[in-house]
Amino acid sequence: MSEDLDENITSVFQRTLPLLSSLLLLLFSYVPLDFSLLNNVRPVIGISCVYFWLIHRPDLFNLWSIYFYGMIDDIISASPFGSNILAMLILYLLITNLSKFFNAKPFVVMWYGFAAIALITMLCRWLVVSIYYSQFLPLSMLFFSYMVTVAAYPFVSLLLAFVQNNFIADDD
Amino acid sequence: MKRRRSLYIHLSHIRLLAKKFALVILFISAFALMLVNKTDTMIIEKTSSVATDVVSPVIDVLVVPAKLIAKVYDYFRDLKQIHKDNIRLREENRKLNLLYDKFKSLEIENKLLSDLLNYVTPKESEFITARVIAEEGDAFSHSMIAYTGDKKVKKGQVALSDKGVVGRVENVGKAYARIILITDINSKIPVMVEKTRIRGILSGDNTTMPRLVFIPLDAAINVGDRIVTSGVAGVFPAGLPIGKVVSVKKNEIRVKPFSSLGQLEYIKLVNYGLSGILENDEEISEGGN
Repeated sequence: MSEDLDENITSVFQRTLPLLSSLLLLLFSYVPLDFSLLNNVRPVIGISCVYFWLIHRPDLFNLWSIYFYGMIDDIISASPFGSNILAMLILYLLITNLSKFFNAKPFVVMWYGFAAIALITMLCRWLVVSIYYSQFLPLSMLFFSYMVTVAAYPFVSLLLAFVQNNFIADDD
Repeated sequence: MKRRRSLYIHLSHIRLLAKKFALVILFISAFALMLVNKTDTMIIEKTSSVATDVVSPVIDVLVVPAKLIAKVYDYFRDLKQIHKDNIRLREENRKLNLLYDKFKSLEIENKLLSDLLNYVTPKESEFITARVIAEEGDAFSHSMIAYTGDKKVKKGQVALSDKGVVGRVENVGKAYARIILITDINSKIPVMVEKTRIRGILSGDNTTMPRLVFIPLDAAINVGDRIVTSGVAGVFPAGLPIGKVVSVKKNEIRVKPFSSLGQLEYIKLVNYGLSGILENDEEISEGGN
């Protein structure tokens, strides 16, 4: 009985770990670090986390997790409520349709895939928020943010791969 | 038995349909949330305040290790600077001592003249110092979350750093407050050029340097001019330093804030007792009646 309970708890923990680790990274990305390099241009950690888990463990990061994740991002951020959820859903739509091109490929291919998908997602969000404010948002800020996000992806994926390899059971 | 079976089939059919259209439904709900935010901000604002209070303590915990990393980095970076700073500070101290004597005599003179004119001094302001626990600055918004504890903070209070205005309180939770920075797209502050008293609006556009708009066509504004609040609209008192003009083009004047908005550890939330911000719908309707 006790073993069953332990097993169940472990299983629930493992299933929620992708969401929990992504949330932790997301919250960490908002912490003020006082690094002059990171002022105003920070990587969009949310996109990196969702991409990683949807490529590697789509069974553990479903649509509802993505919606919840986007909502938490909206709560912390001061951007229009719903815009992060929308970006995450666009990301979901793109990855679920294109993952066959990146899955089980060398890391560089997945990185290129991330660069392409992140660009489309960020541009879609930019367009939606620009319509919301009836004013075009600065593309330069978006561009730098995109570059930093793409550059930071290997580090984010390294952290998440560590979580995946050490704490989550294989998918079989 | 038959009835139960048909009910089961019916439920599984609904579940299948829901799964199929879940993405569409979630897309619609995200758009709906944005629309609600656009049309009736009070619902989202109140929900957001509560949600911020729930999420912020987690970020607050993460600040500790993050600060430690930043401090180690700062320590090595600052070592080089210490000697130079020491020389500069000694010189600065010498000048400040001279200025102090001058200010003392001016203070006395000011008091004498005020008494002579029967001048009514403005109400004393109240402030609290709040620790910044989260900051955000990208193409979509520029804001920060500050820990206010059990201190009373109101929407619309001015957020100041040691160098000048950084923003205003947008919404207040039980222990945390969200501050909209002067660079955010939602920030519009009545300002004036300190020297010439030309008035305008400092409008954020999510870049690091907000624009100066609604200024007279023939206004002579030069690079280096100091921009301060004008006090119009009763949200910010007059004379608070904001930044200086860094570029003057045909249709665009850009202002660089005095404060490094991305490097603030503590901010002052000041209540000047002004009534320019309407707290909620009730106040709006009362004002309308």
